[in-house]
Formats: sequence, structure tokens, C-alpha cells
Amino acid sequence: MIKRLFDWLKQPLGLIAVGITFLALFSLAAYGISLTQKPPEQPLQFPHRTHVAFGIQCLYCHPGASKGPAAGIPSQAKCWGCHNQIQKTQTSELLKPLKDAVLSGTPLEWVPVAQVPDFVQFNHRAHVAAGQNCENCHGDMTKVTIAENPQVMNMGWCLDCHKTIAGEDHEKLVKLVDCGTCHY
Amino acid sequence: MIRPEEIKMSAEETGKWGMVIDQDICTGCQACVAACAMENNISFVGEVDAGYGRSMHWIRIERFWEGAYPEVKMTPNQPMLCQQCGHATCEPVCPAFATVHSQAEQLNLQVYNRCVGTRYCANNCPYQVRAFNWRDYQRPEPLSNQLNPDVTVRRMGVMEKCTFCIQRIHKAQDKAKSEGREVVDGEFTTACAQACPANAIVFGRVDDPESLVSQVARAHGHGVKHLEELGTLPNVTYFKGG
Repeated sequence: MIKRLFDWLKQPLGLIAVGITFLALFSLAAYGISLTQKPPEQPLQFPHRTHVAFGIQCLYCHPGASKGPAAGIPSQAKCWGCHNQIQKTQTSELLKPLKDAVLSGTPLEWVPVAQVPDFVQFNHRAHVAAGQNCENCHGDMTKVTIAENPQVMNMGWCLDCHKTIAGEDHEKLVKLVDCGTCHY
Repeated sequence: MIRPEEIKMSAEETGKWGMVIDQDICTGCQACVAACAMENNISFVGEVDAGYGRSMHWIRIERFWEGAYPEVKMTPNQPMLCQQCGHATCEPVCPAFATVHSQAEQLNLQVYNRCVGTRYCANNCPYQVRAFNWRDYQRPEPLSNQLNPDVTVRRMGVMEKCTFCIQRIHKAQDKAKSEGREVVDGEFTTACAQACPANAIVFGRVDDPESLVSQVARAHGHGVKHLEELGTLPNVTYFKGG
């Protein structure tokens, strides 16, 4: 039975079948991986680069970053603070979801892009206080529309930076590579 | 096998965080048990699993009695929690290095994402204070709203235990650092100590002779560390019959 199958696969038609199967599997895998690399669908095509180009600081919309664990995603009230004074808001098709959300009182449900698993306790404040700039981890926001992760945020990536920063300071290294610093 | 002289030598080293529990003023009200479960997102296993001895508590009130019925005499209640041993028996047996000693905080850690659930640590713990997640226990709505966001919600197949509320330690340290100072004694405490209506539990820095926990320990003078003879160097001191 198996020998007959092999014999069939060795003839030209069989080889083509094997090739097509391989290509199909490969492209499926590539498509699957590409899905994980795309930023998620947002309720609104928020252009980070436009806002940064107007000179708005990261901390204006994400004020939690300097104060506590979560940087925070602004509510539509914050958007509206500026946008209700902008003529374009009334006419722009892209800004329609914002206008509708504010007028109907339903919140815009942003999808967080930079996320860590539940078992990681990340604190923005400590990183900002240590002199890290936002773009060190989140990438250059002058180039993106919806925020994208410039790298995979995994533990190796965290530890690489922690070890470099601790350097020869043993006490700092002990604190920065301790499991209990992030996992509890 | 640990030789006695080794124990004596290492017993001089103190941990960083420690606790004293006064059994004479403990009323056994279980407020600490409830507070711990709230603070640390501990699952409620339900009647059936509790019957199998799969209850999950990071702190429990042990009660003992002396003598035979009817001349039974209750001995003081004994809150039992992870003793955060300086030389812990749970640590060397973990094949995945999921239970490790924190060099920074001198605590025994349980790293949930590393744990593969061999339960070896729990079998090796002389205090029997580790709890295993035998299932993904359900939290019917709206109970999930009371989960503490600072603590991982553990899943099935993971061991867990008392952390001395390390999330509160980190929060206090973070706050102190943002204000450019050291953590002050009594600035924060563990959930169990906070909930205790009789103040039978005192938590703090045992390496600081001026901290409340050290002062209480000195005032009593005759604290007992459970199973100290095993060389585990526990960081919880009990007082009884003072």
C-alpha cells in the first residue's frame, strides 16, 4: 500500500502534487506569521505621525507613562478637546467615527498594540524615570499611522536592555534581572 | 544532610522582609485568609475540590488541641503561611527553576510562567503552604471585576504560594523612588497584616533593628521559628504563651 503510494508520488504528476502541497503549506504559514506582524484593526485610522508633526508630546495623550504602570489610551473627551475646534473634524470622512462617538456618547474602543502577557508586571514610570525615551521601545511615531511594535516584546529583549543598563553595577543588576521584579 | 554548625552559622544571616505573628492575640477570625484571597486573586475551588484537599489558601489558620475528649484544651490559633525561608526546601527541587530565590528582595518567588506543575516543591515544603491550580476555576460575573490587576491570574497546572505581597513591596518602592526617598517602615503592609483586627500580624524589614517588626520581636524575646531545626531559616516568627 505505502509502496504504491511512493511509486505514484515519484511519477511527474505525483511530483507536481508534492510541490503544490508544499507551496500551499508554506504560503499558509507565511500568511499566518504575517498576520501576527500587522497592527490590529482600530476603530479609527489614528495618524500618530500627524499628531507628532504638530508638536504634541507623547505625555499629553499618554500621561500615565510618567506616573504609573500604564501609559493609558486617551478617551474621546481628550480628542474632542482639540478636535471640536478644528473645522476639518466636521467634514473629514476619516474623523467621522470620532464625531459619531462623541455625539452619541459611545466610547471609542481602541485596541492596545504594545501589550505584555498577564504574568508580566510592567511599570512605565520606572522606565521613564530611568531616562528611557518612548521611542526606545515603541519606535519612531513620526513614521507610523497606527502605532506598531518595532520589535517583538519578549523577555530576552527586556533582559538585553536591563543587562546593558546595569553594566558593572552589581546591586543594580541583581534588581534588574530578578524574576520577582516583573513576575508575581 | 545539614550539619548543626552550618545552621548556626547561616542563622545569623537575616532575610530582608519578615513577619511576626502573636498567637496569643490571634482570635482565629480568618480575616487574613479572606484578605489574602482578595488581594492575590486566589481561586475558590468549591466544595468538591475542597473535599479532595485541593483548597487554595496562601495563609490558613491552624488549630490544635491538647488532651482527650472531654478534657480538650485548645491551643492558640496558628496562622500558617509561606515562611519565605532563607534556605528553602522548595527551591532546589524545581526542575524548571520556577521557584527561585529573589536576590533583590530575599524572598522565595514562584514564577508562574515558568512553572510546569510537577508539584515537587509542594511535596518538599515542610510547612505545606503551597497550593496547586488543579483546574481553571471559574469566576462567575461580576466576580472577575474584583481581581487585583497587580497580581497574575494563575491558570490550571501552576503552583502558587504566599509572596509576602510582593506587589505591595514593589508599589511602595516605586512610590518612594518617585519621591526620591527610601521606603519608610509601616508605609505599607501585607494584606493579611492589614486585615488583622487584633494586629497579631506585623510585617516589615527584619534587617532593620529599628523597624516595628524587629521591635516587637525584641519586646517578646522568645519567638519561635517553625521547623527551624530543618535549617530552612524561616522569616516568620511566632509568639505563644507570652
